[in-house]
Amino acid sequence: MKRNLILTYALILGVVFACDDSVLDKTNPNGVTVDGYYKNASELTSAVTSVYSMLKANNLVAREWFFLHDLRSDDMAAGGGQLETPRNQLLLGTYDSGNSVMGTVWLAYYRLIHRANSVVDNSEKATDLAAAAKARLLAEARFLRAYSYYELVSMWGGVPLYKNYVQSVDGSLPRSTDAEVFAFVISELQAIQADLPTTYNAANQGRVTKGAAQMLLARTFMQQGDYQNAKTELLKVYNSNVYALVDNYNDNFLEETEFNKESIFEVNFFPSGGVYNWDGDGNGATAGTETVRTQEYSGIGWRNVIPSNSLLNEFEHAAKGDAKTDPRLDDSFYFTGEKYNNGASTLTDGQQNGNSSVLNGVTQKVSWQKYSLMYKMNESFLTGGINQRIMRFAETILSLAEVENELGNIPQAVKYLNMIRARKSVSMPEYPTAKFPVSTKDQVFTAIVHERRVETNGEQIRNRDLLRWRKQNKLKTEPLTYFQAKKHELLPIPQQEVDNNPKIELADQNPGY
Amino acid sequence: MSRWSLQIALILLPFNLVTAKTFADQQVSGKVTTENGDVLPGVNVTLKGSSVGTSTNPKGEYSITVPSESSVLVFSFIGYGKQEVTVGNKTQIDIQLVSENQALEEMVVIGYGSQKKSSLTGAVSSVSSKELTALPVISAEQALQGRVPGVRVVNNGSPGQAPIVRIRGIGSINYASGPLYVIDGIPSGDLNNLDPKDIESLEVLKDASSAAIYGSRASNGVIIISTKKGAKDGKLHVNLDTYFGTQSAWNKLDLLNTDQYIQYATALLGNAGIAMPGRLSDLNQPIYNGATQTFAQTHTDWQDVLFRKSPVQQHQLAISGGNNVSRFFTSAGYFDQEGILVGTNYKRANFRVNSDHQIAKFLNIGQTLTFSYDKTRGEQGFGGGRTLVMQAIRNLPYWPVYDPTKAGGYSSPTAADGSDPDNPLRIASMDVTRTQRIKLLGSLFADVAITSFLKYRFSLGVDVVTSLGSDRFPIYNDGYKSRTQFELRDSRTSYFSPVITNQLTFDKSFGKHQFNITAIADKQTFRSNTLNGTGYRPNNDIDQMQGVSNPSATSSLDESSLISYVGRLNYEYGGKYLLSGSIRRDGSSRFAPGNKWGTFPSVSLGWRLSEEEFLKAVPEISELKIRASYGQTGFNGIGSYAWQSLVSADNNNYVFGGNKLLGSYFSALGNTQLKWESTAMTNLGIDLALFNNSVTFTAERYNRNTDGLLLEVPIPNSLGYSSSPLSNIGKMKNWGYEFQLGYNKNDGDFKWNASVNLDITRNKVSSLATENAALFSGKNDDFGGFDIAKTEAEHPIQSFFGWKVDGIFQNQAEIDRYNALDGDDQTKYQPAAAPGDIRFKDLNGDGTINLSDRQYLGSFIPKFSYGGNFGGSYKGFDFTLYLQGVQGNKIYNGTKVIEQGMLRLFNAGTDVLNAWTPTNTDTDVPRAVSGDPNNNSKTSDRFIENGSYMRVKNFNIGYTIASKPLSKLTHNTITKARVYVSATNLLTFTKYSGLDPEIGVNGSSNASGTQLINGIDYGMYPQPRTFQVGLSFGF
Repeated sequence: MKRNLILTYALILGVVFACDDSVLDKTNPNGVTVDGYYKNASELTSAVTSVYSMLKANNLVAREWFFLHDLRSDDMAAGGGQLETPRNQLLLGTYDSGNSVMGTVWLAYYRLIHRANSVVDNSEKATDLAAAAKARLLAEARFLRAYSYYELVSMWGGVPLYKNYVQSVDGSLPRSTDAEVFAFVISELQAIQADLPTTYNAANQGRVTKGAAQMLLARTFMQQGDYQNAKTELLKVYNSNVYALVDNYNDNFLEETEFNKESIFEVNFFPSGGVYNWDGDGNGATAGTETVRTQEYSGIGWRNVIPSNSLLNEFEHAAKGDAKTDPRLDDSFYFTGEKYNNGASTLTDGQQNGNSSVLNGVTQKVSWQKYSLMYKMNESFLTGGINQRIMRFAETILSLAEVENELGNIPQAVKYLNMIRARKSVSMPEYPTAKFPVSTKDQVFTAIVHERRVETNGEQIRNRDLLRWRKQNKLKTEPLTYFQAKKHELLPIPQQEVDNNPKIELADQNPGY
Repeated sequence: MSRWSLQIALILLPFNLVTAKTFADQQVSGKVTTENGDVLPGVNVTLKGSSVGTSTNPKGEYSITVPSESSVLVFSFIGYGKQEVTVGNKTQIDIQLVSENQALEEMVVIGYGSQKKSSLTGAVSSVSSKELTALPVISAEQALQGRVPGVRVVNNGSPGQAPIVRIRGIGSINYASGPLYVIDGIPSGDLNNLDPKDIESLEVLKDASSAAIYGSRASNGVIIISTKKGAKDGKLHVNLDTYFGTQSAWNKLDLLNTDQYIQYATALLGNAGIAMPGRLSDLNQPIYNGATQTFAQTHTDWQDVLFRKSPVQQHQLAISGGNNVSRFFTSAGYFDQEGILVGTNYKRANFRVNSDHQIAKFLNIGQTLTFSYDKTRGEQGFGGGRTLVMQAIRNLPYWPVYDPTKAGGYSSPTAADGSDPDNPLRIASMDVTRTQRIKLLGSLFADVAITSFLKYRFSLGVDVVTSLGSDRFPIYNDGYKSRTQFELRDSRTSYFSPVITNQLTFDKSFGKHQFNITAIADKQTFRSNTLNGTGYRPNNDIDQMQGVSNPSATSSLDESSLISYVGRLNYEYGGKYLLSGSIRRDGSSRFAPGNKWGTFPSVSLGWRLSEEEFLKAVPEISELKIRASYGQTGFNGIGSYAWQSLVSADNNNYVFGGNKLLGSYFSALGNTQLKWESTAMTNLGIDLALFNNSVTFTAERYNRNTDGLLLEVPIPNSLGYSSSPLSNIGKMKNWGYEFQLGYNKNDGDFKWNASVNLDITRNKVSSLATENAALFSGKNDDFGGFDIAKTEAEHPIQSFFGWKVDGIFQNQAEIDRYNALDGDDQTKYQPAAAPGDIRFKDLNGDGTINLSDRQYLGSFIPKFSYGGNFGGSYKGFDFTLYLQGVQGNKIYNGTKVIEQGMLRLFNAGTDVLNAWTPTNTDTDVPRAVSGDPNNNSKTSDRFIENGSYMRVKNFNIGYTIASKPLSKLTHNTITKARVYVSATNLLTFTKYSGLDPEIGVNGSSNASGTQLINGIDYGMYPQPRTFQVGLSFGF
């Protein structure tokens, strides 16, 4: 009997424990399913926030983005032997389709586009917010998507154009033509202007404004050589009465003077105690919100890059017989012997690791000052919260000068140029000057090229200017020493894309790669 | 007693099958002992030709009544040779049973049971407890290296890091394809927590037919471990094992001294037009303010700074005993290994109680329980993907290790040095990443004999792990780099996994037909809770999370479950023809509804030719068996929720104004079609034993095909997903041969044995997602910045892939000639080439070098690997020599890239002194030029080296003090004593020029695809050479 009892008990145990199949149903408790998300204002807002979050990530504006633009311009030289290989390749023009900096920026822009697409495609599920509020959120996401495509198409040419998020692994698209991508960017930026406010309150500073959309649209038209339409958009910004040049040139690059009157769009970095978020996509709820630019560029930081001699010598200088040394030279760069750290420290040659520059024939150490925290700090590791200005009003005015000149309106163009030179802290003599006569369209163009370069140096604008002018055959001499025609106009489509996108063959690669 | 399951029953229930009847005739009694004189209880004493029998009592004594003088008594006991004695007129018959070294009669533990080795039809290899404890290593996994053909073990990093174990090739592309470990019936994780000295037997189930009983987790093989049990001899056994050892690095790289460094820096920077760093022209400055020593007087060998002689020790006290009713095994162990690299160590304390009890004739209850605590401090520096070895190569020879004027006490080169290596000693000493684990692994089981042929077993096992991780990154300022806040991270993971098994076994013979049928229902659940906290302190005063700024805490929960039903039939006809078949049905929560269940069948056949009449006439052949098997297994080692597509909610942030908002995004596509990965394996085997089993030989051939490979689809980045969805795409093939040859000489004063094994494994990816899909891996900016390996169809997984060196450009004319190859000298062959740069091979002949000119450069998988064990004893002396090696594999020597790549200014290997110059043209080292404009350091055959090696893995000489005089001397306190000296990794024969040819997969966290960086030496933690002295006492 005892045996049977134990057996019965054991069999019951067996049946009870082993036959309940419902334990096989498990749902991930650590997240929300896609179907269940985007269904109210707060979720939609979070989804839009993550689009911005991608923009500020290490793979974009906090790091790789400024390297890609700057190293492809002629504004930069290697700080020394410590510039890492893929960056050095971009500087020397020896990069290929495997270049990681370039590949990373491509990847990051497409992740941003995917996040924006998911917001736009799923937004109809959210019904608890006013139509205008929802439209504004969507417009922000659409702006960031348009911005990404604008960047992609200007650097890579025609790229795959995803207007909706991809719902299956075989949803990859072939390259569109650059005209198709530009057309999408333009239609988007036209469509969202009405949904965007001109300004935000303090708590929402950093969000996309109407002015930003107009300015980006102007940039897009200019990149295509459509000056008439560019002028229309630029004038919207110019006449909005929202923006003005600030008196002090340097206020555009300091932490205390973010979101000033001159600022049209900034990527917002915020001090997080020296904690930099190395995650490529910028993920992590409590991750740092700083940029590593100061560390990469600063004289007492890694000093991976320094201004090129060609940039330094672009500035008007008394030593060369110019009427006045351009104050923006000293504002943009630190020279040995200059005070920093709120005047408490003096920069020495020994602190500046690496190469020297030659300015007006004098060999000396010069380091980047723009966007550097050195103005108020003396730390050897500096990451910080200085916002990266993506678009500022000075560019609007310079672009107006360019479009007016292209449209044959020379006096108006010169007037705009002189506004830039009249900034209080700059106060450079008006055009025409001995060096820059402005009687012909060609002369004005030369002055525009000069003024844009000295005004927006190190602001990731020069690269795009070169791309635009090269495309429109306006460059008199090619500024990039390594330049090889039918190759260096565009970046190569990243190898990862060629390898894994069944719609892109090796034959679709940009020429020369 | 030839039927295997009855033998098992015998172990458990020595008396239950024996009935003592009384005869009035003649009483015979006696004592049964071993050849050493130890008494043997439980020996079966039967009257030949009848069912009459008895067994010996705890004192080894028996008494039996026999009907006549011509009666024959048969003495049998597992593990001992059977003896038959004709009674004659004796009333006292004492017997010495001789221990049987007939390997073929060994019992082999298989899934959910055990089987006589002679009845095996699958490919199962056993490893003895002696082999497992020969090396001073943490885990049984490490001890397995070179022991079993078909099992590849690669040590991987600092003490406590689990080695890479691959059974019969590689089973998965995206996942660590390690075997399933089943410890006392409980499927469990890695073996670090398990004291190898507690292991009684370890079996490797290599082919699908033996492993398929574990169904969906068996694709990568199964390792079954049984822990020790007490003896039933009525005695208490106390054993103390202890050893101390000292470890050191056996190899060193040849790096530049200060003078050589200056010479090199001058060339490197000068050729790139970069000014010399100020320091190099004035090394006569003090190394820090107030120091009397100058840089010129400082000669730091950073390898000597980092590597050290370090101790290793292990102690185990085991107490065991038992009688016919109960038996037990209790042990307590301590293991302590300091790594040969500063800042690494591993410690373990473990305790075990195993017992079982014969409650009633039909009921046996038992338990196993181990409690283990371990603490690992791992190698630092992976944060930036830079290993300590790499940092040691790069640091400057004139740079001092310490600087008391700096916060933290360490300094690093400054801007004046033009170089920015980290101080590796600072990293290794100050920064701490520590994991502590408390593991409890236990089981309870009850065996119920329903009838003599039907048994029921219920078992309940639990695997509980509490893991505490703590990372401490204190504030420092070494003059160049600094950390302004003390960063603290703590993590807690508690893992709980119960498994319940119900098993019915039918075992019965009908004439020559013998059946063994097993049915099992089994359920295991897994639950893991994780809590992570991070914070920053303003100073280093407290290393706990108190008063921290920016605190953050996250938690997560991970649950999955597995339900299984298993059936197995073993059939044997006349001990000659063997048939085995099993089927397992597994249901897992890890797959979408509709795909949760998978079925895994297997069948195997065996034919013991040696039992046939025509071979019985050949006495030299003691065993000849051929075996064939086929089976299907699965793999479900994916994440618990991989098929579900999720929004990563509130997982990032952006600051608007001054307000931080959290952001959510859609990171990965799900895949409701996700299903089991399935592996089909065929196996052919032959077992041969000659000359009374003194020579044994086994050969296997297998074919392993994986279909529906669980793979992250290599999607183009333009799709925008942060991670690729899993899909059942791709097929992979592994195939190979295994040989094992053994010889035993067990008589005479000089006994010796030898065994060698050889393993030939091949791997090929048959298909990936799409025809041209390829997975690239290994890219790391410090190591040239190019992909190093490629995985694509028709090639072995993760083969090295890069350019081929074609020579060095000797002059501009040669470069011009190459530029004009395609008829246009404006399109450059290599855009930045200058004399002294490497000329790569133009594979496609288009007159320019680009990504299309890369080709396959070899595989990390050895052409064959082998092990050899030679042991012998003469009177009290014994020795073993154990060799292990691999042949025909390639290593991508990243340390050579660091030594010779000349990318940026750091210290380098002495080879750079032989760099090309206009006057030194006969060299294979390209010119020194900072920035490497020609990409001389890109992935090429220049850094591919032969990874073959042969190691004297262990050499051990011991002396056992004869037990009788010892007992006398110690008044019976010590009954057994052995002392030994042993050397591990004594000699390594290799052409590899890095520190150590054993290259695993760690050392580069920023290389993409951590599974696909095998054999790339990013500065691998080298294996130590160890000398040890050990003592073993029995009380």
